[in-house]
Amino acid sequence: MSNELKGLGVGLTAAVGTVHVVAPAQPLPAWGKSTLGAAAELDRLKTAIAAVTADMDALAANADATTAEIFEAMKMWLEDEGLLEIAQEHLDEGSDAAGAIGQAFNAFADMFVGDDAFEERIADLQDLSRRIQASLAGIKMSLDLPQSGQIVLVGEDFSPADTAQFTPAIVGVVTRAGGPTSHTAIICRARSIAAVVSVADAGNLTDGQSILVDPVGDRVVIGGALSQATKPLEFAETDAAPLIPVRSNIGTAADAHTAAATKANGVGLFRTELLYLSAASQPSVEQQAASYAEVLAAAPAGPIVVRTIDAGSDKPVPFLNMPHEENPSLGVRGFRLIVEHRQFIADQLVSLEAARKQTGREVWVMAPMIATVDEAAEFAALARSLGQFKVGIMIETPAISMQVDRLAGVVDFVSIGTNDLSQYLFAADRMNPALGALLNPWQPGLIRMLAKIGADGAAAGVSVGVCGESASDPAFAVVLAGLGITSVSASPSQVNVVTNALASVTKEQAQAVAAAALAGTDAATAKANVLAALAS
Amino acid sequence: MATFTGTVEVLDPIGMHARPAGQIVKLVKEAGVEVVFHYDSAETKANSALRLMAMKVKTGEVITVAVEHYDEAAANAIIAQIQDFLKG
Repeated sequence: MSNELKGLGVGLTAAVGTVHVVAPAQPLPAWGKSTLGAAAELDRLKTAIAAVTADMDALAANADATTAEIFEAMKMWLEDEGLLEIAQEHLDEGSDAAGAIGQAFNAFADMFVGDDAFEERIADLQDLSRRIQASLAGIKMSLDLPQSGQIVLVGEDFSPADTAQFTPAIVGVVTRAGGPTSHTAIICRARSIAAVVSVADAGNLTDGQSILVDPVGDRVVIGGALSQATKPLEFAETDAAPLIPVRSNIGTAADAHTAAATKANGVGLFRTELLYLSAASQPSVEQQAASYAEVLAAAPAGPIVVRTIDAGSDKPVPFLNMPHEENPSLGVRGFRLIVEHRQFIADQLVSLEAARKQTGREVWVMAPMIATVDEAAEFAALARSLGQFKVGIMIETPAISMQVDRLAGVVDFVSIGTNDLSQYLFAADRMNPALGALLNPWQPGLIRMLAKIGADGAAAGVSVGVCGESASDPAFAVVLAGLGITSVSASPSQVNVVTNALASVTKEQAQAVAAAALAGTDAATAKANVLAALAS
Repeated sequence: MATFTGTVEVLDPIGMHARPAGQIVKLVKEAGVEVVFHYDSAETKANSALRLMAMKVKTGEVITVAVEHYDEAAANAIIAQIQDFLKG
């Protein structure tokens, strides 16, 4: 069908709307000599800077805290005396306003080149430079989105500066690049905006077309009606027990409260980084124990699986002084920090033991980024010497995936992080928007690896959970149960729908669904096979 | 007016990056004083965050800070606060 464009769906909401194509920015005019004189050019420059300052204020007002901080820093640079002095020199030499400010920004960008800590700041400087030059030339840089109507935004991919401008009129988003974990996907999922990303033929869409954005069907249909949208599988609300326990992923005490209001059976992944990423110095054992006790006390009934620190040079913990690395996702991260920071990991476990005693909760601990059986044994010995925990490891590397049988007697459980396992299995950077299609959990290479881990874990007597994004998809959760996975952990918003799905199938049915997934030789076929098997 | 000097060490793991540079310039402007950073035989006026960042001072390195002030205690307080911004 030529009116159907394939992509990767985000979320379960479909929408019909009018296409609004966001074109790549217009080229800026070339710099020239002033015909107005330096004083007049300076006035124009000041007016343009004031306009961009106002734009930054508007952006910051709609942005999350982290992004707002970046906009605030950028605003300060607009009145930076060093910058304006260089611009003034160029004005005095006869440049026009655009040339003067452009050269001033370039001067600083050049000074920052070659320093990795400033790479992103160079992009910010160039963004400001373009914004001021665009304002001088009368070119609109903002997306200028309609405030009312039913708009489907179509573009290459959308940055935080772009999504901060989304208006209530945006009912759908289609991007040519970007994957299921891109910034655009995360924002759309959070705001329940219908989205399909990685649509290779998105360039065929034109302004004014009416299109159906059908995320469940992984497609966009030109001229499609809402009634054509692929129905998400509906699983009846039930109090029956799911085939395998469904736990919740959490990162904060607030998440723990949210999860406790769901059907979650305990917590399958408590991410502990948040406690440390913003701390200037290491919190004391007492402070850590108090924070953990608050989370444990609020968590839903059942075991609570705590992941020890999962930081790296891309997610640095300020007080651990992590050196810059060329490839942070392949670097010293997760459990590998034990070489330099053994005491920090030990303190974390001691704090958890104190919180466990205080709250009387069942606590399991696991270490991220394990590649060898020796590392698993080292963590298990450390954790068992410091507390009464069930002890496990995350499975994210292909190397440890091939050795699950050898974990018998070493650890009590493993938990598969499918996001990172996909990244390492497919050698596809999670941050690269061009590689989104490889990070699709329906890829047969990943499903086969999950099948092997499930089977090897069962033979070794090691329970195997899944705590990646994939377990939040109810259809995929049924596949996991059929592959021999013994528990799943979903985001709090998905716990109930995943629980209902797993309560609606028998073990034999789940195994048949898993076989249908394994029979697919590409991601789209694997998913289609499973949806057909579940519908029958 | 006299010049009071002290040294500060960059403890922030990312070095002299955008946030501390911005905080320092804001402090200097609010105090209405002239502050000069001496580092690696170069002098940089602390009225421009971009210039401070362009010094590319790394973690663990030491900067000499010169403050023009009529009051030594106030000058030292400014130096102490600059050190605080560089703790990361």
